[in-house]
Amino acid sequence: MLRPLLASMVGLVAASGLAVEIVAQSPAPGGWLVPDWNKPPITDATRKPAPRRSLVGMWAPAGGPGAGTQASGVLAKPNNGRPENALPYTPYGQELYKSHRALEGADAVVAGQDNDPRNTCEPLGVPRYNHYNVRLTQFFQDEHKIVLLYHYDNRWRVIWTDGRELPTVVDGGVLIGGEFREQRFFGYSVGRWVDDYTFVAQTVGTMPEDRVWLDSTGRPISDKVRVTETFRRVDSDTLVWSETIDDPKVYSQPWETMRLPMRLHDPRTDLMEYYCSPSEQENYNRIFEGTAKGKGAQ
Amino acid sequence: MTIGRLVVLAVAAGLSLSAAPSAHHSSSAFDTGKKLVLKGVVKQWIYSNPHCFLMIEVKNDAGEPVQWVAETQAPSVIFPAGYRRDTFKPGEVVSVTVEPFKDGRPFGRILQTQLPDGTTLGVAGSPPAASVQAP
Repeated sequence: MLRPLLASMVGLVAASGLAVEIVAQSPAPGGWLVPDWNKPPITDATRKPAPRRSLVGMWAPAGGPGAGTQASGVLAKPNNGRPENALPYTPYGQELYKSHRALEGADAVVAGQDNDPRNTCEPLGVPRYNHYNVRLTQFFQDEHKIVLLYHYDNRWRVIWTDGRELPTVVDGGVLIGGEFREQRFFGYSVGRWVDDYTFVAQTVGTMPEDRVWLDSTGRPISDKVRVTETFRRVDSDTLVWSETIDDPKVYSQPWETMRLPMRLHDPRTDLMEYYCSPSEQENYNRIFEGTAKGKGAQ
Repeated sequence: MTIGRLVVLAVAAGLSLSAAPSAHHSSSAFDTGKKLVLKGVVKQWIYSNPHCFLMIEVKNDAGEPVQWVAETQAPSVIFPAGYRRDTFKPGEVVSVTVEPFKDGRPFGRILQTQLPDGTTLGVAGSPPAASVQAP
């Protein structure tokens, strides 16, 4: 299903003159380019201007493969118990947080006692896909939309850019043109260019709080959230991906969750699959639990 | 914890490697900063999501075999650093530097491995040139 979409988008990108620049080479046995996590830093001498109104490219956290992992919680507010990272929970939000048993963060539980929906390969939804193992992420665009391909679990998402309205959130779903529509893991996203190098997207209509988490430390998110993402193209090789959430059901005020610098990678880079497989997850748990029982421990 | 003849505690061994936090158990379970060098026989290499496992048999002080599990990240994450599905073969003797669990269980997070031919592989993000050295 995705392949025809991508093929048409690649064609549109080429036709619209949005040339995809080939960047520095990395090992490519047989022509299969391997991700390059050791790019030289961008300097004044190597910095090139960004193309106008384009996010096209294969992007990855500029800080390396671990910079977008976010195991300790969203980048801007790691869940480490420090007062400056305390969140403005509503009473309901606080109650929700306490009901989540996460493996990471200040209130982490031990393995086997957690209830992270990630562990059963449930879709993480928006915005958690932005907060979970963000590594090589591909952006395609045409005159109607921008499409993000997340590496984790081989997921993709559409942000419409053709001027359509953001749906109205109502209990249990959204209204589009007066018609009631379902909630979605990726919600409904629309975006626009606020200047030639800054794209802002908003997402509503996401899944309810019993299906999704905000991050790996069990912070909650509800179906009343409005997610605002800002993609700022700093130069040809740098994109800063920021996000703010406004979820009055869970948080008493909007707050910024991340500001992640991304580095452009060679668009020909081949990515291995990075799926969540229930059977492999089960095998992992079996091995881990076998060790946890102390088999062979000294 | 008894550390076997083939297990050398490598404190401040000049290793400046670091590992990104793992996902499916708490990162706090690991004794971050502690480095343990395990030398043992490969029993199994599981190249699979969500994390890869290297099962090695290491002898303790009494000469008894201890089954260690050395974990690293998903194949797609460690592939650029040189780890492949056939990197480790059963019966081979390898040296693995891990961050062990705090509680003494024989489980650790891989920081570096040395293969029988002398090739050294690092963590995700290690330069491929440094990961595939000539013996």
